[in-house]
Amino acid sequence: MDYALKLIPVVLVFGGVLSIVPVFVILERKICAWIQDRIGPNRVGLFGPDSVLEGLSFKTGTRRILGGWLQPFADVVKLIAKEAIVPANADRALYILAPAFALLPPLLAFVVIPAGPDIDFRGGTVVPLQVADLHVGILFVLAAASLSAYGLAFGGWASNNKFSLLGGVRATAQMISYEIGMGLVILAVVMTYDSVSLRDMAYLQAGAQPILDEHGMPTGFWQYGADGIGGWGIWRQPLAFILFVICAFAENNRLPFDLPECEAELVGGYHTEYSSLGFGMFMQAEYIAILAMGALLTTCFLGGWHYPWYGAVLARDPVLAALLGVVCFAVKACAFVLFSMWVRWTLPRFRWDQLMNLGWKAVVPLALANLVLTAVLNLPATAPPRPDHRMTAAARGM
Amino acid sequence: MSDQPPDSNPPPAGADAHRPTLAERLYLPEIAKGLGNTFRHMLREPFTVDYDGTERDNPAKHRVPCPGYRGEHYLKKDEDGHVKCVACFMCAAACPAECIHIEAAPTPPDWKNRERYPIRFEIDLLRCIYCGYCEEACPVDAIALSPQYNVCSDTREAKVYGRDRLLADGVKYGLSLSTHKYRPDGVPGAAPAAEQSGQ
Repeated sequence: MDYALKLIPVVLVFGGVLSIVPVFVILERKICAWIQDRIGPNRVGLFGPDSVLEGLSFKTGTRRILGGWLQPFADVVKLIAKEAIVPANADRALYILAPAFALLPPLLAFVVIPAGPDIDFRGGTVVPLQVADLHVGILFVLAAASLSAYGLAFGGWASNNKFSLLGGVRATAQMISYEIGMGLVILAVVMTYDSVSLRDMAYLQAGAQPILDEHGMPTGFWQYGADGIGGWGIWRQPLAFILFVICAFAENNRLPFDLPECEAELVGGYHTEYSSLGFGMFMQAEYIAILAMGALLTTCFLGGWHYPWYGAVLARDPVLAALLGVVCFAVKACAFVLFSMWVRWTLPRFRWDQLMNLGWKAVVPLALANLVLTAVLNLPATAPPRPDHRMTAAARGM
Repeated sequence: MSDQPPDSNPPPAGADAHRPTLAERLYLPEIAKGLGNTFRHMLREPFTVDYDGTERDNPAKHRVPCPGYRGEHYLKKDEDGHVKCVACFMCAAACPAECIHIEAAPTPPDWKNRERYPIRFEIDLLRCIYCGYCEEACPVDAIALSPQYNVCSDTREAKVYGRDRLLADGVKYGLSLSTHKYRPDGVPGAAPAAEQSGQ
C-alpha cells in the first residue's frame, strides 16, 4: 500500500513533466512568431488553412492562435523517422550516451520538488505529492543541475567536431561559473527558511505552523494555510529572486546566455552533429531543465503550491485544496517557462566576456552581499522554529 | 577570448558618445522596456500572410506577391485561338539559362497571319532562373511570366513544361490573350485598354 501511494507522485510528476515538453516546443515557436509579427506554424491541427474544418472559414485571429497545435506531433514523427547518424571518428559510446546524460539530471531535480501539499484524506491516508523528501533537499537539486553540464560536455567532446567541442567547453565553463552565484543565492534562501527541505520551504510559505512537542521541537505541520500571499519568498528575498532568475537562464543555456549553442558562431554548438532522437533528447532536456528551474523558483520564491485563499479552501475541503495546489504549482512553473521564451525572443545574445563579467563581477558579489544581509537580518531570535522533516514523516505515520 | 581586453567594445570617442545612465548600466530597467516592446508586438496583427497552399489552382484566391512578380511562364494565343508564338527563337537566344527548347514548323495553310509556329516549345523550369528575359525578347508578346510561384512537383520530368501545358496555364489564369495583362492590383484578368497603351 505504501509503495502504491509512492507511485502516485512519481506518475504525476514525471508523466506530467515528460508530456508537457511538446506543448513547450509549439509554444516557443508560436511566441517567437508572434513577437516577430509572423503567423508561425499554423498547418498541422484542426484550425489551419488546409484543415478539414476549413469550410467554417475562421477569422485570421482564430487561425493565428489555434492553428498548428499538433505541429509537435509531426515534429516527433519526423525525428523518429530520421536516421541517427554517428559521425566518423566520433567516440561512439559517449556520443550515444550524451543525450541521456543531458536528459537525466533535470528529471532528477523533480524528485525532491513538491508538486503539492500532502493530500490528507479523512480516513487517515496521506498521499504525498513529492516523490521523495530527501534530507539534503535543495542540495540534491544543485547536484543534479551540476551533472547536466556532463551531458553537454560529452556531446561536444564525442562529436569529433570543433564547433561541438567549443560548445561543450563553453557549456562547462558557463554552468560552473553561474553555479557559484546560484549556490550563494540558494544559501541565503536556506537561511531564510532555516531548512534545506523544499517541502518545509513550501509549507512555511503557505503559512503552515510547525507542530511542537513538549521539548519545543517541531514534529510536523498543522494543516493550516494562509489566505494571503505575504509569506511568499519573493517578499523576503527580492534580490535573491532576481539573481536566481539570471542564474537560472545561464544554467539552462537559454538566451541571452545560450553561448553553448550560439547558432551565429557555433552552428548548433554541442548538438551540431546530432540527428534524429539524439537531438530530440537534447531538445527535451533543455525544456525539462527550464521547467525544473521554474519549479525550483516556484518552490523557493513563489510560494510553491500555495495560492490566495488557500487557507479558506483547506478549511472546507483538504483534498480539493491539495489538488488546486498542484494546478497552481504547474501554472507557476509553466509561467516561468513562458517568461523564458518571452525573454529569449526579446534579448540578443551576450558576448562571452560579457557573460563572464556578469557572472563573476555582478552576480557573485551581489549574491554574497545578499547572503551577509540575510545573515544579519535573520538573527536566531527572529528565525522561525526549525522543523525536522524526519520527525515530520514519523508524525505522518509514514 | 582571453586576448580581448575586459571591455573590447568601448564607446566611440567624441562629444556625441552616449554615456549610459545608471539605470541603463543596471540592464534590468532596459530589459523590462524591451520586454514591454516585444509584448506589444505579440498582440499586433502579423505582418506576414498565410501561404495559400492548396489554393494555388484557384485564380480567385491565388495571392499575388507584388505587381510584376515573375513566376511560371505561359504562352498566349492569338485572336484565332492559335498559339501566338512565331518560332523566331528570340527567347531561346535571350535565355541565360538556356532552358527554352523550340522546334519550328511551317504553319498549316489556314493560319493566315504568319508562316512559322512551334510544334515543340519546352521550358525546363528547373533550369530557369525566372529572369524574364524571354518575355522582354519576344517580338510578338507571345510568352510571359505569370504570378504563379507555387511550383512544387514530384518528379523532374514534371517541371519541363511543354507547349500545350504553357498554353493551358495561360487560359487557366485568364491571361491567354495578348491584351490580357496581369493587373497591378493583383487580380488576374483583362486590363483596361488605356493601361495597355501606356505600357
